[in-house]
Amino acid sequence: MGLTAAGAEEAGEALTRALVVRAQNGDAEAFGELLADQYDRIYRTAWKWCGNRSDAEDVAQDVCVKLGSVIAQFDGRSAFSSWVFRITLNMVRDMQRAGKRRGRHADAYAELAPDSQRPEQEDGLAHQALWDAVRRLPEQQRDAVLLVYAEDMSHAAAAEIMGIKEATVSFHVHQARKTLRGLL
Amino acid sequence: MSDKMNPDPFDALKSGQVPPAGDAARRRALAAGMAAFAAEQQKSTAPTKGNGFGARLRSIITSLKGNSIMDLRYPLGTAAVALLLLPLGYQLYSTTALTPGGATPAKTVAATPVVPIPADDAPAITTADLAVAQQDKEEATAEADASEAVVSAEPAPLPLPVAPSPAENIAVSSAAIAPQRMQESMAPAAKMVAGAPSPTTLASPMDALSGDSFASFDEQRLKVVAEEPVSTFSIDVDTASYSYVRRALEDGYMPEADAVRIEEMVNYFPYDYPAATSADAPFKPTMAVFPTPWNPKTELLQIGIKGYVPPADGVHKPSNLVFLIDTSGSMDEADKLPLLKRAFGLLVDQLGDQDTVSIVAYAGSAGVVLEPTKAAQKARILSALDDLAAGGGTAGAEGIELAYRLAEEAKVADGTNRVILATDGDFNVGIDDPERLKAFIAAKRQSGVTLSVLGFGRGNLDDATMQALAQNGNGNASYISSFREAQKVLVEELGGTLDMIAKDVKIQIEFNPAVVSEYRLIGYETRMLNREDFNNDAVDAGDVGAGTTVTALYEITPVSAGGGLVDPLRYGGAESAAQAGDATEIGFLKMRYKLPDSDVSQLIEAPVTPDLVYGDIADVGDDMRFAAAVAAFGQKLKGSVYGGSMDWSDIAALAQSAKGVDEGGYRAEFVGLVKTASLLKPDADDGGAADCSGENCATD
Repeated sequence: MGLTAAGAEEAGEALTRALVVRAQNGDAEAFGELLADQYDRIYRTAWKWCGNRSDAEDVAQDVCVKLGSVIAQFDGRSAFSSWVFRITLNMVRDMQRAGKRRGRHADAYAELAPDSQRPEQEDGLAHQALWDAVRRLPEQQRDAVLLVYAEDMSHAAAAEIMGIKEATVSFHVHQARKTLRGLL
Repeated sequence: MSDKMNPDPFDALKSGQVPPAGDAARRRALAAGMAAFAAEQQKSTAPTKGNGFGARLRSIITSLKGNSIMDLRYPLGTAAVALLLLPLGYQLYSTTALTPGGATPAKTVAATPVVPIPADDAPAITTADLAVAQQDKEEATAEADASEAVVSAEPAPLPLPVAPSPAENIAVSSAAIAPQRMQESMAPAAKMVAGAPSPTTLASPMDALSGDSFASFDEQRLKVVAEEPVSTFSIDVDTASYSYVRRALEDGYMPEADAVRIEEMVNYFPYDYPAATSADAPFKPTMAVFPTPWNPKTELLQIGIKGYVPPADGVHKPSNLVFLIDTSGSMDEADKLPLLKRAFGLLVDQLGDQDTVSIVAYAGSAGVVLEPTKAAQKARILSALDDLAAGGGTAGAEGIELAYRLAEEAKVADGTNRVILATDGDFNVGIDDPERLKAFIAAKRQSGVTLSVLGFGRGNLDDATMQALAQNGNGNASYISSFREAQKVLVEELGGTLDMIAKDVKIQIEFNPAVVSEYRLIGYETRMLNREDFNNDAVDAGDVGAGTTVTALYEITPVSAGGGLVDPLRYGGAESAAQAGDATEIGFLKMRYKLPDSDVSQLIEAPVTPDLVYGDIADVGDDMRFAAAVAAFGQKLKGSVYGGSMDWSDIAALAQSAKGVDEGGYRAEFVGLVKTASLLKPDADDGGAADCSGENCATD
């Protein structure tokens, strides 16, 4: 990544790497900066996957805790941001799997406490329907679609984060499009 | 990438706006992250030693190997969490999802242990590390700060050691994290508790969580005779509601209000009304007016009819039955498919030699299980039944069409042609759209093939669809909760189940405003008809089988009693009343019905005359009093705004006094059920749920 360092993005990348190294060496201040720097991205990703603020905040907090304890294990083989991405997606999945068992409850109570965030944040019902439909896709298809479209990544970058082949990402996106054909 | 060629719907995802995270959440997350980071650093400087406080031994392996892939924490942690979550999850699932309601305490227990799991990551580690930190006093600043944090955060359950530099404010906020997180995790538990009706109620009502679905409806409201003198409804011979309510109560739950249909509860019991004498006028009404047990100012008008019973020695009308059986995976429970097999076994035993039976399975092992077979070959039919197995995918496509095709194939000209659908709620019989399914069934009804629905099991039951299908198919919907119930529906009431003697039976009553000021039909909410539907032969209504009894109850307020809930109109036309008929008549009953193979309806008329009035409820027959008791019970279960005030003990006493011969033991069972309900939801005012307070006992 960014060996011919130039431009703001590369600079940011370099700064991040420096912070990571300092944090790995036990510099709490550096870690604090790193977290503050990453938090919004983590939260935004979590929101896109979860679709509501409270879940997203929970996931983001879990990711922060996780980062605190495993930052030393980051080995620099991939970009730090991809690594954080992977952790975030894992956290989302863990939470949703744990939540599934309580899903019936959650649904039953959803009517009592509707997530008031949603309507004003999204423009139009069709848009909302698309997001909901995508979030209900099987995990792999959902991850692929959200990474490629919502996060605007290349298939290759998405493949790296998902730990699968690029062609498989394309396949999942294709499948997702097929699944949602009626809706789109 | 090909998706750049044409506009891609997914592109809309790019523009998604994400609402910003809350500041508090952000601070909390950062502090939690910092705490975890600090804990991690502590650990690497002062390796954990054995510790009796339940802290997991971790990190030694990692720090020795320095290799994240070999890190055993994740697999071990996952296994530990899985061991915790699996039984808890199962408990939660089994107490809340499959069985109705789930007692409140179970929910709380199941919800609480979830708390330590999310909190585990940070605080659990840090307590251990903290102890270590305190031992190693010679370590530098970190320990000093950490022990400070201990002092300052003493009241917090899990004090956290804190990183050196941004120390002060994080120390405060991180100490606050643990309880806050706890609170958040507890929130769902608190909500669940709040879902229970009241602390004094022993049993939670079965709510949407039971998995069974019922059409919701509003209770019949009081009507003013001067405004709406005419009440029209279709009769209902279903009994599913009572079986369901009984099962719920026996399992220790109050049934959900929508599951209680009072008319079905009243009609569950056999009543000894005088039967009609010929098949041409297949029933005659029996009426009585007597004081309402739950309201001294009103009276009950009871209308009972009993279907004509064809003489037993007559020629047996041949039956052509198609069993359409749900074999989806969910049927694989003791009270579903196995019970169904025995129930159908009973039914097959009742059939005569020239009757025909076919079996079609759907959802699971799909297709024709048994081609139309004469009931003379009982062994063949029973073995085909026995071979049914639940499970497999849901491949059963055109189950219902197949069933009707077999019914057409083996159609008997002068007899019963019926599809009997047995299910626990999966209606994927091949036609997905409920409206199309209803239309299909109604169309087949025209060609002479009717449909009955038997419901089994619980957790998935789709009562609303059951009712709708049976009504469209001119059959009845029954809920088979036990072998005993199977016996009642398929043996004792076989005639009523199979042998229809009149169809589209409608009842219309016109009240005399000179005598009655207000009236209210009890039950039949789902069966109301418009006034003009009464004379319209195209409007479908309920059907009466041989020997079936149907009872309807009106609570009426006599003009003279002054018990009216609605004030009279100041400008009301006084002259409108009593221009026709006998001024002392209470009302006028009209019933329309069609003979089974006729499309033109017949009319039965009878005035409700004053000589039907009894002054004391003790004077009326057992049947009347028992029906009143059942109605009172149903209203109380529903939490009715009109008749819910009667004590359980009074209802039980009234029913007890009206037991009569009670051949099947159903009435005795009902009395037991009232007592069960009184224990589940004791009357608020007094503790006397079981004994009856002298004055009220005098009524029997």
